[in-house]
Amino acid sequence: MDFRHKPELQDRLAAEYVLGTLRGPARARFRHWLREDAGLRQVVQAWEVRLSPLAAGVPAVEPPRRVWKAIEEAITERQMGAGRATQPAASRGLWDSLAFWRNLGLATSGAAAALLAALTLFAPEAPGPAPAPQIVRVPAETLPASYFAVLSDPRTQKPVLMVAAARHSDQLMVKRLDESIVVAERSLELWALPAGGGAPRSLGLVAAQARHALKLQGPADRTLGEIPALAISLEPVGGSPTGAPTGPVLYTGPCIKYW
Amino acid sequence: MEPDDLAALLAATARQDRTAFERLYRASSAKLFGVALRILRREDWAEEVLQDAYVSIWNRASTYTPGLSAPMTWMTSIVRNRCLDWLRRPQMEVADEDGAIVEATESAWSGPLEQLEQSRDAQAVSRCLKALEGKQRQAVMLAFFEGLSHTELAGRMREPLGSVKTWVRRGLMRLKTCLSPA
Repeated sequence: MDFRHKPELQDRLAAEYVLGTLRGPARARFRHWLREDAGLRQVVQAWEVRLSPLAAGVPAVEPPRRVWKAIEEAITERQMGAGRATQPAASRGLWDSLAFWRNLGLATSGAAAALLAALTLFAPEAPGPAPAPQIVRVPAETLPASYFAVLSDPRTQKPVLMVAAARHSDQLMVKRLDESIVVAERSLELWALPAGGGAPRSLGLVAAQARHALKLQGPADRTLGEIPALAISLEPVGGSPTGAPTGPVLYTGPCIKYW
Repeated sequence: MEPDDLAALLAATARQDRTAFERLYRASSAKLFGVALRILRREDWAEEVLQDAYVSIWNRASTYTPGLSAPMTWMTSIVRNRCLDWLRRPQMEVADEDGAIVEATESAWSGPLEQLEQSRDAQAVSRCLKALEGKQRQAVMLAFFEGLSHTELAGRMREPLGSVKTWVRRGLMRLKTCLSPA
């Protein structure tokens, strides 16, 4: 659908997005367009300005005191996380490069990007800044056929976590790219989102360490082969008590095959 | 609190001023909690979303542009988006099946239109809502206040899905026309 040249359709979808009647995959798709299209963001904002004053019609309810406590804790944690971030400047530039991650996330043939990312993922932690050209020189043959996913914050588009598993392995390598995602007294749970909107399957909890491995319930070809995307939700300590995500979905990313 | 004051608090929050952020929370959280509670109909979920929304407000305060929207508009949109995302989760349980929360807030609720008229910010939109046809107004209001999808609206209003979709669409477009400066 060539949506950009249909201002009326844009306006209608923006209105229903803000009202809340745009749901499910359509909402997710719309949000994707929103990230790419500043003009569309303006259309949405105009609808927010029109409709948000309606919220004045809702009676105020004082939230319990624990909500503010939790907010305070969360922002303290983030501030400390930001202070602790000691990534070398060179690699930081790479991780933070939006274009790089976009390409990786969107291109199914983004082999070069995946290669670079994979090498950085599997490479042992370098003591100093690792110069990028040195990474690129490693021959592609050394890379196993693998599944990759980079999960990012949909609001900031900042990549926060990356995972990879070799096709025949049941080890899912996890690398945290943003220290600040760890939340005190909560767990971050990683989910496989099956094609066609099936029930998400838990892949485990994101550990406190920056790099770790999760054991898949079988070789990646079987457990990730039909999975177009992964997501992370915020859960009580120890993970979702129900086996399905119970908290907000904080980060998502496409799961791609590299071989 | 006046919008200008909220804008000043947001600006200070963008500079990581914790005291200002706390004042912003005290001035706005009851309204936003009401909004979340109304849509999610479960206190624990509404608390979770509110918490998440304020952490987001703290992190994104610097992206707020005063000329484009009022501070409450900006913050309300963050909270409502979070609520709608929450409702989008797969395998959602039915919240407040017996309607207890809706009833509890209903009793303190003189009806959104009356409440709206008491608010200066909402005078224009409440006037325009009143100008809609009954079904259009009902559909738009249920969707906005309770976060209902088209299908849920059809169930609640006991009307065909197609009609409900049309009412929502026409209602929104008439609101737009009514709200645009002549």
